[in-house]
Amino acid sequence: MTKFNADAWGEKLLRKFAGGSSRRSMLTRMGAALVAAPAFPLLPVSRAEAAKPDRSPEAKTVFARSAQTKDETKCDYWRYCAIDGALCTCCGGGIHSCPPGAEPSPVSWVGTCINPDDGKAYLIAYRDCCGKPACGQCGCDNTDRETQLYMPQLNNDVIWCFGTTSMEYHCSTAVLVGAAS
Amino acid sequence: MSRNSRRIFAAFSLGYALFAGAVMAQAADAPADLTPEESDVMTIDPPKPTWFYVDGGWDMPGTSIFDGETGKMKGMVETRRLADMAIDPNGQYYYVAETIWSKGDRGTRQDMVTVYDSKTLNLVTEIPLPGRILIGSRKNNFIVSDDGKTAFVYDFSPTSGVNIVDLTKKKFTAAIELPGCASLMPNPGVGFSALCSDGSMATVAVKGTKGDITHTAPFFDATNDPIFDNFAYDRAKKQATFLTYTGQIYTAQISASPTVAAPFSIQAAAGIRPGETKPLETNWLPGGRQPMAVHRATGMMFVLMHMGEYWTHKESGTEVWQVDVAAKKVVKRFKLKDPMNNIAVSQTDKPLLYMNGEKGEALVIDVATGEEKHKIEKAGGSTITIADPL
Repeated sequence: MTKFNADAWGEKLLRKFAGGSSRRSMLTRMGAALVAAPAFPLLPVSRAEAAKPDRSPEAKTVFARSAQTKDETKCDYWRYCAIDGALCTCCGGGIHSCPPGAEPSPVSWVGTCINPDDGKAYLIAYRDCCGKPACGQCGCDNTDRETQLYMPQLNNDVIWCFGTTSMEYHCSTAVLVGAAS
Repeated sequence: MSRNSRRIFAAFSLGYALFAGAVMAQAADAPADLTPEESDVMTIDPPKPTWFYVDGGWDMPGTSIFDGETGKMKGMVETRRLADMAIDPNGQYYYVAETIWSKGDRGTRQDMVTVYDSKTLNLVTEIPLPGRILIGSRKNNFIVSDDGKTAFVYDFSPTSGVNIVDLTKKKFTAAIELPGCASLMPNPGVGFSALCSDGSMATVAVKGTKGDITHTAPFFDATNDPIFDNFAYDRAKKQATFLTYTGQIYTAQISASPTVAAPFSIQAAAGIRPGETKPLETNWLPGGRQPMAVHRATGMMFVLMHMGEYWTHKESGTEVWQVDVAAKKVVKRFKLKDPMNNIAVSQTDKPLLYMNGEKGEALVIDVATGEEKHKIEKAGGSTITIADPL
């Protein structure tokens, strides 16, 4: 897997939006939001790169020490280190797939989670699936490196259904975006 | 008369005949001087200092009004999922910042501040807004100025900004962009202040439809040791009290140029080692959705605390620590039977603690004695607001 590059990722995301959206659309505004928030995906990355990563048990959070890689329908699955909400894997969807009829939000909050199989950290985008009532199955609220509203891209309480036809929250996915270290 | 109309008429006639028959049959058994009752509607007093308001949260619409002295429910303010409620400091209105769609969960989105009369709880008016954040469980996304004349509604679309409402004219007046900051507090005579992702506090001097933004120097680490955004603001002292995930307590004097005092550790104030961000350091840590409250007359702060490691900041508290903020001392620790997630305190001479947890049970505890005065089942599981009239 290539190393995660925040700038390239942001550019790709914005180009994708720009190609498929009118100038005044919601997506264009979101592009502005991403540009206006220079801290956006850089923080977990810069933190991970600032020092040589220590993956000893002493350096891992409670969640990372007990995370597993086999069952995506459990709250302790490694990618869910900062997820809040119903797992789409329990609602008829998948780890990066919305259940039938729901619509993925193009923007999300992010987490930096450690895969216990290889000991490496990965950037996970928690994209909400929107447009249906709250699924209610497999509710999880994990809070590794989860911050408050003044840093919304790292906050897991915000309803992230922006740019979707409905802002109703259905469930959350955990999309692997890239390596964080 | 069409066939359907005839059917409806027949059904009504039958219903009336049954009702009248039942009334006559009862009247025959009743005393002759009985006056038949009429349905009417109660009114309630304006907000009282012993009242508290429990948001039902994600699973339960409505914000229930309880009297902390009696434990009785007084009424309910209509709040739907993800709505934010604020109380007019003059006691005349309840304000609800909310979002609805023309077809339930789809169609045209409408954001508004809905105004309810505090005595009848009837709808007074709706003030349309250009937008607001959808998050819920936050006290500081919808705030009212100390004089009750202006409301500030945080918006995230996902550009970050604040929508300003003139509550006297009941009109939206301005949208001000506020990049990188959220979690609002009033700033009397200036506008409002907010916390920012660079660890500073922003102050927005509102002039007409424009906002002039200045920042303090960064004073906290928003990434590694964030300040809980459900902090406390004291209208009388114009002071904000902040609490971080590790347990650092800051006080800030709110003005055109706010000043922030050096923090102290809540654990050190209790005579134990300060909280740390390192894994495997199990310690008492603050946690919950609304983990702190301040009794302004005595300067006492109440914090929900749990034993755990860092990044467990949403975990419910098993104890409440009472902190004398000026003396930097934990003066009392209350053990809780059930873990609690939200805490508030009445601003009365004999303060009462109001708490609720995941089960939606509300608890009223007398601060002086530690005695549990009331336990209210199914009160609601989200934010607790207190009445704090001028």
